[in-house]
Amino acid sequence: MLKYLLRRLIFGLPTLVGISIVIFVVMRVLPGDPLVAMFGAEGFQRLNPGDRARIMSDLGLSDPLPVQYVHWMKDIASGSFGRSFFRGDRVSELVLHRGPLSAEIGLLSVLISWLVGLPVGITGAVRPNSLADNVVRSVSVLFLAIPGFWLGMLIVLASLFWFHYKAPLVVVQLWEDPWTNFQLAIGPATVLGLGQGAYIARMTRSCLLEVIGEDYVRTARAKGVAERLVVVRHALPNALLPVITVSGILMGFVLGGSVAVEQAFGVPGLGTALVTAIVERDIVVVQNLVLLYGVIFMLVNVLVDLSYALLDPRIHHE
Amino acid sequence: MAEPSASLSDSETVDRRAFLKRFAVAAGGAMIESLPGRSRARAGAAEEAFQLRALEPDPKRGGTLRYGVASSPAHFDIHQSGTVANIGAQGPMYDNLIRRDPRDGQTIIPDLAYRWDIAADGKGYTFHLRSGVKFHDGADFTAEDVKATFSRIIWPPTGIVIPRRPLFSAVSEIRVLGPHKIEFRLKEPRPRGFMFSAFASGWNVIVRKKTLEENDYNLRQTPNYPGTGPFRHVSRKKDEVWLMERNPHYWNTPLPYLDRLAVYNFAPFSPELGAALLGGKLDYARIVDTATLRRAQEQPGMTGATYYQSVVDAVWVNTRHKPFGDPRVRRAMHLALDRHALIDVVKEAAPYLLGGFVYPFSEWATPRNEMIQRLGYQQDPKPAVEEARRLMAAAGYAAGLRNVDFVVREGTSWKLWAVAIQAMLKEALDIETKLRTVQISAFFEETQGGNFDLSIGAIVSTLIDPSDYFNAWYGEDGPQNYSKWHDPAFQRLVAQIDRELDERRRRALVRQGETILEQDPPFLPVAWEQLSDAWYTYVKGQQPRHIFGIYDVARWDVAWLDK
Repeated sequence: MLKYLLRRLIFGLPTLVGISIVIFVVMRVLPGDPLVAMFGAEGFQRLNPGDRARIMSDLGLSDPLPVQYVHWMKDIASGSFGRSFFRGDRVSELVLHRGPLSAEIGLLSVLISWLVGLPVGITGAVRPNSLADNVVRSVSVLFLAIPGFWLGMLIVLASLFWFHYKAPLVVVQLWEDPWTNFQLAIGPATVLGLGQGAYIARMTRSCLLEVIGEDYVRTARAKGVAERLVVVRHALPNALLPVITVSGILMGFVLGGSVAVEQAFGVPGLGTALVTAIVERDIVVVQNLVLLYGVIFMLVNVLVDLSYALLDPRIHHE
Repeated sequence: MAEPSASLSDSETVDRRAFLKRFAVAAGGAMIESLPGRSRARAGAAEEAFQLRALEPDPKRGGTLRYGVASSPAHFDIHQSGTVANIGAQGPMYDNLIRRDPRDGQTIIPDLAYRWDIAADGKGYTFHLRSGVKFHDGADFTAEDVKATFSRIIWPPTGIVIPRRPLFSAVSEIRVLGPHKIEFRLKEPRPRGFMFSAFASGWNVIVRKKTLEENDYNLRQTPNYPGTGPFRHVSRKKDEVWLMERNPHYWNTPLPYLDRLAVYNFAPFSPELGAALLGGKLDYARIVDTATLRRAQEQPGMTGATYYQSVVDAVWVNTRHKPFGDPRVRRAMHLALDRHALIDVVKEAAPYLLGGFVYPFSEWATPRNEMIQRLGYQQDPKPAVEEARRLMAAAGYAAGLRNVDFVVREGTSWKLWAVAIQAMLKEALDIETKLRTVQISAFFEETQGGNFDLSIGAIVSTLIDPSDYFNAWYGEDGPQNYSKWHDPAFQRLVAQIDRELDERRRRALVRQGETILEQDPPFLPVAWEQLSDAWYTYVKGQQPRHIFGIYDVARWDVAWLDK
């Protein structure tokens, strides 16, 4: 198992290097000047070419691209991830401050997607084409179709105008004030979770329908095992493997979706920080956050692979 | 200098005429009584005892004001900044030499300078500074700090960019005459109203000489450098909230009335800002969208106001690209815009004003009733369009133009306008444009690089005085002259306007300049910005109705909470 884990992590390295090169090059090729954000429109227009060149040099943007890339890798190796162009804040501090909230939102959304998606999928598979199945299928299609940021905005507006409620404005960590923290995380997590839940429900239904038709399920029924146990003990564990795989892939969507959904809810997580950094052309912050998202996505997929062995004894990672 | 007026009520509204009247009073207040030998400002006679008070008779002490505004600056150097993200958050921590009265937003009143004299030749401005004032770190405030501050503004070291530098282009020397006395020497006299407005600009906060020296005169990455202002730094959560507490040693007792100020970061016009205010998480929101303003004005216990902003939205026409160097083509395009319709197009997003090339609400502008008789500003656009077609035909472009590159700055109003202007140019003059929307960081690269035929966006000025923006927007080397427009007659006129000391003659020169700009437009004015704030009525002492721009009145020292 350990060997397998190491091998996966080593194989993942070229992927991460690829991501780092792509984002590094893209951020430098795209039009736009970080000095606009730094000096404001009025100040930027008064910069003479000499000042501009000097400041770009101070920011490390005048070096040849390979040199800039090596500097970035050194920053990563040192664990600091460099400093924001603006204000000089360390990216590592940004990640430590906002990362826990975004991680909570991601994990909570996965939990919600399973809590919603599994029962809905099971209901549809156990009673296919029944009224309940049709209703839940329609609802799941609805959540697949609705963009998360739009649903987020609706929830914010509805809670504001109906209940005069607005979530807290600043990051409060779970260990500082659990209730306030929960108020921050629950909105985006619900929206992201419902979107994922729709995928989970559809995958669960189709996989379970397939498994329910297998011989061993018929045998279990023939032996007089209660229907609930047949489904939960015998059919479901075998149907879950593809669902877990989908969950791993969906994690990528959560990471991507969280950027827009955090914005919609006004939650100051890493997604919001990424949007701000893109608008400001804060190259250091953008490239580090994108790479961080890449690392998380890769690790989640390794964990998904490892979980197969736990669910299916036939699978051994050697 | 006029003593602050104390006649404004919280419910009072201001129209253009009232604003002009007040601004004229304020400008007049900035004018100096002529005395033999040396002249002295009237408010200067108020001596060191002058202290500001809330407008209301019985202000309450205490409480925390939760204020929502763009307050995540890209750096911390107020002098080098041009965005509300700096002045909105950091303004309460600093004082100026002189300032605009926060109660009317217009009258210039004493601040760290309690008195001033102007030499008879108009070339010397001497400021008498308060003694006993301390920076937040306990250091004494002296004339050396004023000299260090203004020296950096006027003669910035290499790598330091200060947008307000041109306001002091006439200053030749700053002399410290004593620990609390300082003189600014001018190469030649300038209109006094202009000079006082420049000194009173909210951007020109006084920082400590030692702070500048210790940071190599660059405060971009120096958070929380000490000021003398009514509030002092407590903590800052990046992009979230900036907490400040009352400065217990503030020289202007009993200000400030608030114990704490929590400045939350929200993008202007954003639904998040409106939601935070309406959801009760904020007490006061700056630059709200129209829907939030309307809701605040309808909701009991809340209110809101719209005020003038120092920004024009315009379409720049690249005079270096054929045929836009021809004034007839530019004037034709100027006349083809139905400005009333354009203002209507964006009214749900933001409030705008009709205007030409001069701040339409300023005493310098052609009055509105005259303006709307003029081609290009009439309710009925037909006569203007007929004239525009005639001009295009005379220029040899009766058949219109094709493939005109139209760069659009990312933003709700500009995107809406670009589509409307595209249709107007096509319908009136058969000019076919291709829209190219770009982010703000790319917009300036494109416009300054001249990579456009037409370009829509906005520009800002520091002062309402034409000497500031005539040079910056229309000057040959003006940093915001994106069209690369040049008119020798206009340049000569601007030099005269800059030096003319007689207000009446100066106003006449500005009108002459306006005529040139109408006939040979450096850009196509679309509309002039207004902004809106909304707040709960228990927030007292803030009078955003009367201000020009959001940069001069950002200190919250006279605000208090009635609860």
